[in-house]
Amino acid sequence: MAHTVNAARCNKCGQLSYPTHYYCSKCNATEFSPIPISGEGTLLTFTRAYALSLDYEQLYVTFGIVQMDQGVRATGQLDIQEPVLGMRVRATVGPVRDIGGRDVFGLRFVSVFPDAAAVESDQPALSASPSAS
Amino acid sequence: MRDVVIVGAATTQFGRAQWSLLKLMAEAAHGAITDAGIERKKIDAVYVANMGSARNNRQAGIASALVDRMNLYPVAADTIENGPASGASAVKNGFLAVASGMYDCVLVVGGERMQEVNNFEATEFVSYLSHRFAEYIYGITLPALAGMFARLWMQKYGVTSEHLAMVAIKNHANALLNPASHLKMPIAMEGLLHSPDSAMNNPFVADPLRFFDCCPVSDGAAAVLLAPADLAKNFKKTPIVISGIGQATDTQAVHERPDPTVLTAVQTASRKAFAMAKLEPKDISLAELHDAFTILEIAQSEQVGFFPEGEGHLALERGVTQITGKLPINASGGLKAKGHPVGATGVSQIVELALQLRGEAGKRQVKNPRHGFALNFGGFGNNVVATILSKGA
Repeated sequence: MAHTVNAARCNKCGQLSYPTHYYCSKCNATEFSPIPISGEGTLLTFTRAYALSLDYEQLYVTFGIVQMDQGVRATGQLDIQEPVLGMRVRATVGPVRDIGGRDVFGLRFVSVFPDAAAVESDQPALSASPSAS
Repeated sequence: MRDVVIVGAATTQFGRAQWSLLKLMAEAAHGAITDAGIERKKIDAVYVANMGSARNNRQAGIASALVDRMNLYPVAADTIENGPASGASAVKNGFLAVASGMYDCVLVVGGERMQEVNNFEATEFVSYLSHRFAEYIYGITLPALAGMFARLWMQKYGVTSEHLAMVAIKNHANALLNPASHLKMPIAMEGLLHSPDSAMNNPFVADPLRFFDCCPVSDGAAAVLLAPADLAKNFKKTPIVISGIGQATDTQAVHERPDPTVLTAVQTASRKAFAMAKLEPKDISLAELHDAFTILEIAQSEQVGFFPEGEGHLALERGVTQITGKLPINASGGLKAKGHPVGATGVSQIVELALQLRGEAGKRQVKNPRHGFALNFGGFGNNVVATILSKGA
């Protein structure tokens, strides 16, 4: 089954929000339809974090906030060796955490440009889940 | 509303506690009661600030447990959990209870014992503050949110790693003058950033933030005793007036903020506190800001309204925020060096301001303070409480 990360589109006014809120921030309606976060966006900020919480065995995880061309912003992990502010990235969905022996799926951003050097290859996505792909 | 004053204040040693959480809290509470010079049977209600006792210390209902530990029954007791801003939230609730006339004597205690679990567990439990589905599942930690914030801030305003280190150096120096502080360790720019050993001694935690840009994981407790101003003469210490309180919230997921460098809740909470106190930022004699990460002291010093946008680091450079400067910030050592026992922090900021306003702050005493400002920052700025204390007329 393909995993998705969904934003919420207001059934009344079309406003897209992520994450989901009970009321539409624009028109206060309460009914929404799921819209998968996908496509490209721009990297707004990032950090490489070395002090991780439980569930992570690797040396570091790179996090970023991306402005999606779809209109929403999202936080996710970056599979990018040398991130740069403002770079173009593409959203993919993959395992981001192992919670109690179960893979949790979420957004993993990759560089849009096919620059081999920019693709992170020497860091396993999630050491706790060898089947990550 | 009745005017509310602080009539007792105390803190425990911050650091690694030898005792249980309840004994830490009881020690701080006893200190505040003794400081006020009253019998504990005069207490009408207890508010206890704590974030993690159920998870880290296997004790839920911590306010009821503290009442039992201190034989305070049958007082009213409530636990207040507002993440790292639990302390100031508890003081606010105590204030409301006294101001309303419902209670005359309220004890507010904040405490946390984080070193009962290992650092991975501590980082994990604090990361529960992030949005469960949009942040937490990615392994986001508070240092990671601060790292992303710092990268944007530094790029926008030309703040450097040296500026961040200057916050740490100042607050470590202040902590040396505070007997209760966790880290009693002088540090210098050379060792932090420019020596061959810097990368080893001060590694990245969440780049651009390094080890010495982050507060320690601390145990500790702090307490204040509140009473209506017209009963203040019954207590032995100079009463300190709670002249303003402001609180505001913001989006839980940081990425949803229109400009992630703007801490809207800090601005709103501060503005409300100043309006209530009928004061302006220029009236403040000293401030305790929530420097869980060095970048936050710089950012908050602007967004509270002390310095113009983009000039917090310049004020720091000029020494304005030193104890001897025009606006001392974190004379106590701040979260950075006094320590950050999460539930205790907001209460300990209030304790510091009360001691300073009474003139009892010892070697770190700020000269003739009149009004003190505290900012307690919950989550990554999604629930912020600002408190202003003033010397009585």
